[in-house]
Amino acid sequence: MDRAMVTVDNVTRSFALPKGGTYVALKDINLNIAEGEFISLIGHSGCGKSTLLNLMAGLDQANTGGILMDSRQVTDPGPDRMVVFQNYSLLPWQSVRQNIALAVNNVMRESSQVERRERVEQSIALVGLGHAADKLPAELSGGMKQRVAIARALAIRPRLLLLDEPFGALDALTRGNLQQQLMQICQQAGVTTVMVTHSVDEALLLSDRVVCLTNGPAAGIGQILKVTLPRPRERLEVMEHPDYYRLRGELINFLQQQRRLKQHRQELGTSVVSPSVPQPAPKAVAMAQRTVRIGYLPGLDIAPMAVALDRGFFSDRNIQVIPVVFHRWQQMEEQLRAGDLQLAITSATSPLALALGQHGQPSWPAITPMTVTRSGNAICLAQRFRDLNVHSLSDLAALLDDRGSRLRLAIGQQGSMQDLLLRHWLASGGIDPDQAVDFQILSPLAIQSALRNGEIDGFIAGRYRVAKAMDAGLGYVLATDLDIWSGHPEKVLTCHEAWAANNEALLLDVCGALIRGGQICENGGQRDRLIGLLSRPQWLGNDAALALQRQLNLGNGQATSNLLPLNRYHSDRAHVANSAEGAWILTQFSRWGWSPFPRNRLELLGQVYRNDFCSTALEQEGLAALSPDRQPIQLACGGPFDQDEPLSYLEALPFTHNTAIAVMPLPSGTAKRATTTTETPAS
Amino acid sequence: MTSLSATSRSKRRPAVGWLRSPLANQIKAPVVCIGLTLGLWQFLAQFNSEGFPGPIQVISQTWDPYIINPFFDDGGTSKGLGLQLLISLQRVAVGYSLAAVIGIAAGLAIGLNRFLRRGFDPLIQVLRTVPPLAWLPISLLLFQQADSAAIFVIFITAVWPIVINTAVGINEIPQDYTNVARVLRLRKRSYLGDILMPATAPYVFTGLRIAIGLAWLAIVAAEMLKADGGIGFFIWDAYNAGGDTSTSQIILAIVVIGLVGLALDRLVGAVGTLVAKGGK
Repeated sequence: MDRAMVTVDNVTRSFALPKGGTYVALKDINLNIAEGEFISLIGHSGCGKSTLLNLMAGLDQANTGGILMDSRQVTDPGPDRMVVFQNYSLLPWQSVRQNIALAVNNVMRESSQVERRERVEQSIALVGLGHAADKLPAELSGGMKQRVAIARALAIRPRLLLLDEPFGALDALTRGNLQQQLMQICQQAGVTTVMVTHSVDEALLLSDRVVCLTNGPAAGIGQILKVTLPRPRERLEVMEHPDYYRLRGELINFLQQQRRLKQHRQELGTSVVSPSVPQPAPKAVAMAQRTVRIGYLPGLDIAPMAVALDRGFFSDRNIQVIPVVFHRWQQMEEQLRAGDLQLAITSATSPLALALGQHGQPSWPAITPMTVTRSGNAICLAQRFRDLNVHSLSDLAALLDDRGSRLRLAIGQQGSMQDLLLRHWLASGGIDPDQAVDFQILSPLAIQSALRNGEIDGFIAGRYRVAKAMDAGLGYVLATDLDIWSGHPEKVLTCHEAWAANNEALLLDVCGALIRGGQICENGGQRDRLIGLLSRPQWLGNDAALALQRQLNLGNGQATSNLLPLNRYHSDRAHVANSAEGAWILTQFSRWGWSPFPRNRLELLGQVYRNDFCSTALEQEGLAALSPDRQPIQLACGGPFDQDEPLSYLEALPFTHNTAIAVMPLPSGTAKRATTTTETPAS
Repeated sequence: MTSLSATSRSKRRPAVGWLRSPLANQIKAPVVCIGLTLGLWQFLAQFNSEGFPGPIQVISQTWDPYIINPFFDDGGTSKGLGLQLLISLQRVAVGYSLAAVIGIAAGLAIGLNRFLRRGFDPLIQVLRTVPPLAWLPISLLLFQQADSAAIFVIFITAVWPIVINTAVGINEIPQDYTNVARVLRLRKRSYLGDILMPATAPYVFTGLRIAIGLAWLAIVAAEMLKADGGIGFFIWDAYNAGGDTSTSQIILAIVVIGLVGLALDRLVGAVGTLVAKGGK
């Protein structure tokens, strides 16, 4: 793409409601538009398409963020960004010629009378309205009026042409002809165009890219579809192009998913969580103790929760947190499903796996309001492999080729983030994990003894387990997150959708406390205190110091600090519940044949990834709200992952088992939980 | 079907064909209804012992000089109906023109400035409901002269609807047009001439039309109380004279006032349509 001519930079637009409070129409919109590009904005009514267009026109101002055009901020409307309004906006008391002349005379003040008149006539001729030049708009048909509006806009040679549902009110035949004309004119003039439309076919015919907006409130960009159809396009030919129906299907699919998501939210009785006006809660409720049971497995990932408990972040917010320790992931998920736990710190893949109902389980409406930690994993092999000179992935691949036997690797949970990372890493080195590897699901506690007894050849685990194994001299680190995906989501908070809907404030407070905890975990100055805290028996015991050592023995002779990064608890947008990462997880589920790739992935991701909680919690804590950016995810091994093109990514991956696409049944959020609510009634 | 039945009927009674001409169709109903009303009036007048005239007497008693010679002038206040009308119309013209000029100007100011609009709105709402005659004593005190006082009453009665409608018109300029003006960065003069004035014109003329009705209402009342000459004076004068034909004169004057009022209303309306062509 060329250098961006228009940049929509993190734009949020909210409106004050007459009854107090605000309505967030658009949230964190980022978009780059290249010179000469034709962009369509599509989405359900009320999603803020026109608002975005008005912001670009400068008719409206964003609350935060801004719009740059040619590197200058757009602050007011101007003729370089000409708008063709939804209802034409021709002046009814002026003839066609006068309407166009008004624009030309005002904009081309420097030019001579003759030049201006020429331009007016030329523009009238461009849209073929010479015979109607002296008619008043009321005497014209809708299509002719729209042509006048377009002629008026193009007459002043704008840099950016903004069209607000230009053909919405026209009959099909006129619409088709005008689309064709507009396309030719835009192409000839090379004018950069942004068009708001409701019509999928119109968007596909005209655009280079279609930007799909999610439902309001707080609408964002859900998907950006590149329209690869060759130009010049002809309406009928385009429809016969093999790609046309695939693209069309994607757009329709997007819109349908958005509609279902909207219905789903309505059924749940909540829309998107947003910072509300602080409502004076009844005193009795405010004082009521709120109890939450949070499940976890020991590891450095629990540090934010430990800190939050230690510093009283939960009790400050009137929450009594009961941490419940588990030693197998399976057990914890069972208890979560049963409702014995309200929340759990799970692998980043669990919310999706639960929602899809993998491993023979019924699907369960899990959501994730925030990411707790990122990174912190390493892949270790037993010492004997070092003696065989295995120092890299290619060494390992060569060894496996020679030996012909299968590698025995331990993972904590099938389909966990660690499992996916390990498989992805192996596959990138030419090792088919399903052919060459026996995966053993071991409790993290059992890994060390299994390694010692030679029952496994290696494992993937968090820094805590790795440190213990290194310390015991049992193995060495062959790869870390840096070699696979630096900054991947590792552990996330997971809960039931309906519980979250019924306990919104409580969940926001829990997130807030964990965010505060994460902030302290990452503060270097607090390290000694953190080690002291985690060394307590109820957390990690005496090994904590080991795991948090800045210099970690990698077991391979290099004792270096940089190779194994610490977990990320807070910095660099660590808390974001990023549905793009969810999309990557879905590709891997499909890749290893665990489930077909969901055709309704955006609906699924929209249900599961509730970054609105994270953003709101951050705002409540006085921190900047975070939103996922739309940049492709850069993985260290394998190509970058673009959330808008998951299928082509999936097809390009080695050892992909399954590229089937299916509409996955989604759990209904309205299913009532059998358990009692945790919020103690007021009286 | 319809055409069939129409032809068969016209075949049966070809003599009444002219009754179906468009003109006849239009005036048929008013002619019948007004005729009936006049007939009833004439009938009832026969039973009145005070000699209240029926329509026939009204015409016969005022035929000479009032109807056939509307412009006679016997000097003093004894003038024909036409001359009296001219005096009244002259006053209305002055007062109404003043009201139009000042009303539109004030309406523009109030429409364009939020502070002024909020500030003056309560005042305007109160003053516009004051009946015309309530102003007369004050205006007599102020101007000391019947003629100027009458003009002032006309002005103060007619100005409010003009102010209010002009201001509303400016407020109601569609967002579309202001957006066009903003995007094109229209200069002030172009904005006024190309957008503000044409868009507001229909509202202004609505105000002007209401105002002319009120002005006509006010002048007759004002002249009846305090004036020398004018159609209102004519009525009052006829009443005071108490002659045999007084009642007929009064009735004739009422009919004339009504017809002139209607004509004025239509005139302003027609000008409005002409000026605000394509405005809606």
